[in-house]
Amino acid sequence: MAMFSQNPVLNGPNYSFAEVPKDAVDGLREHRFNPYTDNGGSTLAIAGADFTIMAGDTRLTSGYSINTRYSPKVFKIGGSNSSQDDANILLSVVGFAADGEALKERLDAICKMYRYRHGKPMSVNACAKRLSTIMYQKRFFPYYVYAILGGIDEEGKGAVYSYDPVGSYEREQCRAGGAAGSLIMPFLDNQVNFKNQYVPGSGTGHDLQERERVPLPREEVEVLVKDAFDSAVERHIEVGDALQVVIITKDGIEEKVLPLKKD
Amino acid sequence: MDHRPQAWGRPRDDVYGAYDASYMQTNGPNQHTQSPVVTGTSVVAIKFKDGVVMAADNLASYGSLARFTDVKRIRTFADTSIVGFGGDVSDMQYLDRHLTELSIDEAYQQTAHTLNARSLHKYLSKLLYHRRSKFDPLWNHLLVAGLDEEGKPFLAAADLLGTTFSSPSLATGFGSMLAQPIMRRYVPDEESVANLTRDKAVEVVRECMKVLFYRDARSLDSYSLAVVTKDGIELSENEKLEKQSWAFADRIKGYGTQTV
Amino acid sequence: MTSIGTGYDLANSIFSPDGRNFQVEYAVKAVENGGTSVGIRCKDGVVLAVEKVITSKLLKPGANKRIATVDRHLGVVYSGMVPDGTHFVDRARDEARAWRETFKTPISTSDLASRMGGYLQAYTLYQSVRPFGITAIVGGFDSELEAPVDGEVGSGPSVGAGGKVEGKKHGGPGLYMIEPSGMYWGYYGAATGKGRQAAKAELEKLNLAEGTLDLKQAVKEAARIIYVAQQDNKDKEFELEMSWISGADGPTKGRHQEVPKDLLEEAERLAKKALSEDDDEEEEEKGDDKMEE
Repeated sequence: MAMFSQNPVLNGPNYSFAEVPKDAVDGLREHRFNPYTDNGGSTLAIAGADFTIMAGDTRLTSGYSINTRYSPKVFKIGGSNSSQDDANILLSVVGFAADGEALKERLDAICKMYRYRHGKPMSVNACAKRLSTIMYQKRFFPYYVYAILGGIDEEGKGAVYSYDPVGSYEREQCRAGGAAGSLIMPFLDNQVNFKNQYVPGSGTGHDLQERERVPLPREEVEVLVKDAFDSAVERHIEVGDALQVVIITKDGIEEKVLPLKKD
Repeated sequence: MDHRPQAWGRPRDDVYGAYDASYMQTNGPNQHTQSPVVTGTSVVAIKFKDGVVMAADNLASYGSLARFTDVKRIRTFADTSIVGFGGDVSDMQYLDRHLTELSIDEAYQQTAHTLNARSLHKYLSKLLYHRRSKFDPLWNHLLVAGLDEEGKPFLAAADLLGTTFSSPSLATGFGSMLAQPIMRRYVPDEESVANLTRDKAVEVVRECMKVLFYRDARSLDSYSLAVVTKDGIELSENEKLEKQSWAFADRIKGYGTQTV
Repeated sequence: MTSIGTGYDLANSIFSPDGRNFQVEYAVKAVENGGTSVGIRCKDGVVLAVEKVITSKLLKPGANKRIATVDRHLGVVYSGMVPDGTHFVDRARDEARAWRETFKTPISTSDLASRMGGYLQAYTLYQSVRPFGITAIVGGFDSELEAPVDGEVGSGPSVGAGGKVEGKKHGGPGLYMIEPSGMYWGYYGAATGKGRQAAKAELEKLNLAEGTLDLKQAVKEAARIIYVAQQDNKDKEFELEMSWISGADGPTKGRHQEVPKDLLEEAERLAKKALSEDDDEEEEEKGDDKMEE
């Protein structure tokens, strides 16, 4: 039936003014475009007494293809220039690489603005909270990344904060994320947090005394990180090629790239 | 005369029947690109000691139809960088016009240096990421090649999601499976780039184009080949595959309608 | 000007009884105070040159360019009020961009001149505005190749309908001068600003319509003409600024570019030499006169 949006002329010819569809398509319409992908890779961070170590493999994948063998996942954040040589915070991102890049650039810009405005770098715990709000702002179109933030806290202790894609976060002693996160994390539970380690001869059953938790020295942690990744490479196809290890201490940031299996 | 301007020029219902507006989707989301239409296949590129070689065939397909056979998919920017486009051809043309405008704007300041390949790649990847975030992607996978701010060879990729990566050799689409392994034999890492000559790089890329023509059904034997060095861009858009050998073909069994 | 002070010169959009728009004529006066601009259209390109008067010793030499690029193949130079010129250039760039957006092809020099002529003319019609205090010289080179459409992917059929026409000529150099009234003409050689009379006299001597002068000669002539035109107020310091546009097979490959430093310096050296030779001749003549006395 013709409909009128204006007063009709009595008995005059009719015109189809309304352009509303008569048979509206109901139900959801299919969107074939998927804005996300998984680029694989794994990250890991461990807080020591006076240092934080952050590592990630450098493989970037799409499905079964290796896009590149060298795409770093650990970034220095909040330096006063593009070389980032005076940065005081580390960020690792794993998951969807484009979101990871965008998140890194956002956080870096914010930390730089903080530095220019306040004349001092942002503290790690302030940055950690800020990162959480950035991620939650996109709660309904999230950055598809698992982020880990690391640095030295205001007491001089190593600090590691880990995040889920929508910004939920907590401070931890250590965290593994990404494709092989579930492979590495139990290893870290045992080797860093001494889970299931007991004092020999301290009794049986509930009498067993847990091994006392102490921060590990740097040399040991570095070996731990390499071992964790060597193992992950064996069992996960999206992990490999090279290992980027970044260590932050009160004296600054050191970075090295170690080889991993390329198969 | 009908005194309602709204009625002017409209068909009368008593003559033509009521207008069927059902095809017009006034509710629901805006119509954005949900899939590519006319597409180009692989782009391959490899770094050598003084620059980068890139190639892409001249075919634009409409599904399985070889629709346009004279489509130049390597575009130049400011006589210093090149962009190779895989994926939707209309989006490529949009990007090409966008880059033309960009390079004109850059030339307003005659003394200012223009975008190098690295900054061009950054620009394009941010544009692609921005469009994917609007759920209105530019359906392309592109390679950007040229020289970086230090005059060293630069090669990087960006796709419709805004994902970026860089490597001594890169290939999009089918090329990432068929050509990339061949090229990685010559440049497994950044260090080996210094040992690859221009002639060898061109030879490798030509070989890759041949392999792609053998195995990629959406490919063509005429292609564009570009070499970027500090001396500029040499772009040849009418290359032909040479010395093809289909001897391997009769050893393939078990596919299609072949019974013996 | 006999009707000055009769009230007809106070606003645009008011004619004087004898049919003049005084505001436009005053704008021309503003142009006549500006540094000389020259444009030469020769057989293989266009040269633009300007006498950039140094208004302060604190300005950085070579900075604050007066010749502007409007599109790849188009350049503009102007004499008169610099801020008006800047706005003219902005508008010209918008026009060139809009043309590309609608037609997917570069704007021709004549079309740009037409658009800008129309724009300037509109500024002679309303109470609320004043005319542009500039005369602009627009130079361009419309591609002689069959101009590709922006974003075009193929070359088209090589034979048959829609194929290329053998030996068909397209494009070429173009030079236009647009005045505050909005009037514009195409020229072989154009000059405006303070030294325009001398410059025009020199341009006429070049017989540009014959099409014998080539681009490099034109650069040298343009430099010399700017120096000649500057003779009459020697006290003012100035910088010579020059740009050129050739066809696709020429030195600028169809682009509007600054004249390279070495060629500019060479042209300036020759210009100074030509001037001093003229001076010597004059001196000699004077000397002879004295001898006779």
